[in-house]
Amino acid sequence: MTKSYIRFWGVRGSYSAPFETCLKTGGNTPCVEINVDGHTLICDAGSGIIPLGNKLLNNEKNKDILILLTHFHWDHISGLPFFGPAFHPKYNISFFGPGESKEIIKKYIDDQMKAPYFPVGTEEWVANISYLDPKEKNITYGPMEISYYSAYHPGITYGYKINVNNKTIVYIPDNECLSPNKPIENPEEFSDEEITILEEMTREEYRAETNTIENTDILIHDAQYTPEDYEKKRGWGHSCYTDVINMAIDANVKNLFLFSHDPNNNDEMISKIFEDSKKIIKNRGSSLKCFISTESLKVSLD
Amino acid sequence: MSEYKRTAVLVDDNESSHKFFLRSVENLSIDLKAYRDTDTAMKFLGENKPSILFLNIILPDKNGLTFLGELRKLPLHAKTPVIMLTSNDYSQDRTVASELGVLDFIVKPMSMRTITSIMLDYIK
Repeated sequence: MTKSYIRFWGVRGSYSAPFETCLKTGGNTPCVEINVDGHTLICDAGSGIIPLGNKLLNNEKNKDILILLTHFHWDHISGLPFFGPAFHPKYNISFFGPGESKEIIKKYIDDQMKAPYFPVGTEEWVANISYLDPKEKNITYGPMEISYYSAYHPGITYGYKINVNNKTIVYIPDNECLSPNKPIENPEEFSDEEITILEEMTREEYRAETNTIENTDILIHDAQYTPEDYEKKRGWGHSCYTDVINMAIDANVKNLFLFSHDPNNNDEMISKIFEDSKKIIKNRGSSLKCFISTESLKVSLD
Repeated sequence: MSEYKRTAVLVDDNESSHKFFLRSVENLSIDLKAYRDTDTAMKFLGENKPSILFLNIILPDKNGLTFLGELRKLPLHAKTPVIMLTSNDYSQDRTVASELGVLDFIVKPMSMRTITSIMLDYIK
């Protein structure tokens, strides 16, 4: 029996996709469970946290849960009002996310469960709820060492790096990754010296991003857009899957899980994205293993 | 606390950005202090108020907007003029920055003329 694992409970970005043509991939918004020796770590609280909560209520002996929120856009917190363990007194639930203080994090979570948005407030939660100090730079949770870094996404958004069982996992569901060859628009407006420094600036920013995920064993990354989508939605804070694959190869990532699928992309479209991803990896002669994140997918960490 | 000076502070982990700013101000009478992370910058900013602060949003140790929120709580920096730097111009970042009293946004790639002009506009 697998003791330590990652399980995907919600893999869609932006909004849920409960459509017949999407069910092979899954329709819930972001939620990933990392369970190590009975320690339950939950990455994001999109609608996928609802079935996860039901599983915890039915099966788990461990009553301690840590929820990491990358940010507070609704697709990442919309499952919290229906998260069963919060309404059970035997659970201890801690939250961590971007913010200046515990009070701010609490406010962000409380606010979506207030009138006129929702009929039941967080004051109805009977679990022991706590908020970790957002100024902590590193968190230890059981055998897991957790750090975080800023993502390219509107508002303050984190990616999380989790070290456990001699493996590095990076979870960054919303991030508009950079490209080393991004051309300078209107180059005629710049001198040759400016262009030389600006091009190096772009490469350096890209190196900083690849350094952050270098040699990661398991990268769970935003791959919402196709190249055609990205032409229209550049600057919306999500990545094109081709850029993500190239970045993962450049960073010597071992296993890449394409995540935050566009709810407009049905199973057939996502299969095409997967086939194209394999071609890109093959053409670059890389050993990167690429996977489509799907609901109920379980990855062993033993 | 040291005396108020015509000092500009840049916080950006990008070495090329430091080079770009240094070239942009080399003909101005400005002391540019450039830092690569917020911890190091705070050693200076904890006791000194620059004439202007240029702050990148994505930094290795802390989000630039979070750092600015902390700075604003210090009486010394309640009104320090701040310009945000970014490679990705998100309107929500501008909203957060505006609430923190940011004067302007510079979207990379920028020209040296842009930096010089902002320096001259805001450093009186």
